[in-house]
Amino acid sequence: MLHGILTLLLFQFAGECISKLFELKIPGPIIGMVLLLLFLVIRKGSFHALDNAVFWLLRYLPLFIIPAAAGIITQVETISNELVAILASLIVGTFLALAFSAKLMDILISKKEER
Amino acid sequence: MNFDALIAYITSTPLTWIIVTLSAYKAGILIYEKTGKHALLQPIVIAYVIMLPILIVAQIPYKQYFESVSILHFFLGPATVALALPLYKNLKLIRAYLLPICITLFAGGIFTILSAVGILWLLSASKITMLSMTTKSVTAPITLITAQDIGANASLAIGFVVITGLLGALFGTFVFKLLKIKHDAAKGFALGLISHAVGTARAFEISENAAAFSALAMGLVGVFIAVFLPLVTQFL
Repeated sequence: MLHGILTLLLFQFAGECISKLFELKIPGPIIGMVLLLLFLVIRKGSFHALDNAVFWLLRYLPLFIIPAAAGIITQVETISNELVAILASLIVGTFLALAFSAKLMDILISKKEER
Repeated sequence: MNFDALIAYITSTPLTWIIVTLSAYKAGILIYEKTGKHALLQPIVIAYVIMLPILIVAQIPYKQYFESVSILHFFLGPATVALALPLYKNLKLIRAYLLPICITLFAGGIFTILSAVGILWLLSASKITMLSMTTKSVTAPITLITAQDIGANASLAIGFVVITGLLGALFGTFVFKLLKIKHDAAKGFALGLISHAVGTARAFEISENAAAFSALAMGLVGVFIAVFLPLVTQFL
């Protein structure tokens, strides 16, 4: 478990350092994630301690979001001023995007299987 | 007995707010499990409903609350890196459907941003709302670490992410019936692409295959949008 956490922190650290050094616009943890993905591909698999650390972190992911999420109480004014636009965007936008993506992928798979 | 000292301790220690936050989340998990894991009763939603009134009644400045529980916030970084593992495990699916996955990822990823921001623009919403809406389909940790770089408000953005997740899970079955979607891979991929982890939880109810494609889409679109958005928004 400790080995797994350390691995994740090292990849995050490497990602943050690369982002700063090369003045990239990509967030450090994203670079760390891509590096870890490459590492797993090259290594052809994960290891037990990493599996445990990842399981633990992803299981409690919503908990880690609460500190930032609670900040919604500072945004009451913006939300009440733009409530209609926000609701329309969320409801209509999500409906259209889901329909578009599902139909597009469905057609592409059907075409591939016909061949 | 020194009640003043007691009250001074309770109102100043980070422990108070860490305990309140963990309790609210624990209550969320219990209710979620008691209701048979109803997609709309996600633990985070219940935690929201419990936490917000407490924060308002306690009249604690948000900054002070955030600093008290910043230890939880810290884990978002390693959690984002951790997303590499589920992505790696589902990577083999890409080989079977390389072209459909790439096309849907790019087209769907851009569509979900443009449709939502387009509607806001038509209804003359503010710039900060539009920027905060751009990450609505991205899984929450990636939204939070990207929010600063694109000039969005992290709290608004995370609210939009949670609601988009719930709406996608809610609309899923209806949309797939309406459009006669045949392949589970397409259903799962669309759910993960648009509604991240909540969509993936919903995809698990369709099939294992749908869930795997959903987890894959969630990881890919997170990386795609996190890389692509800061490049675009720096010109705004």
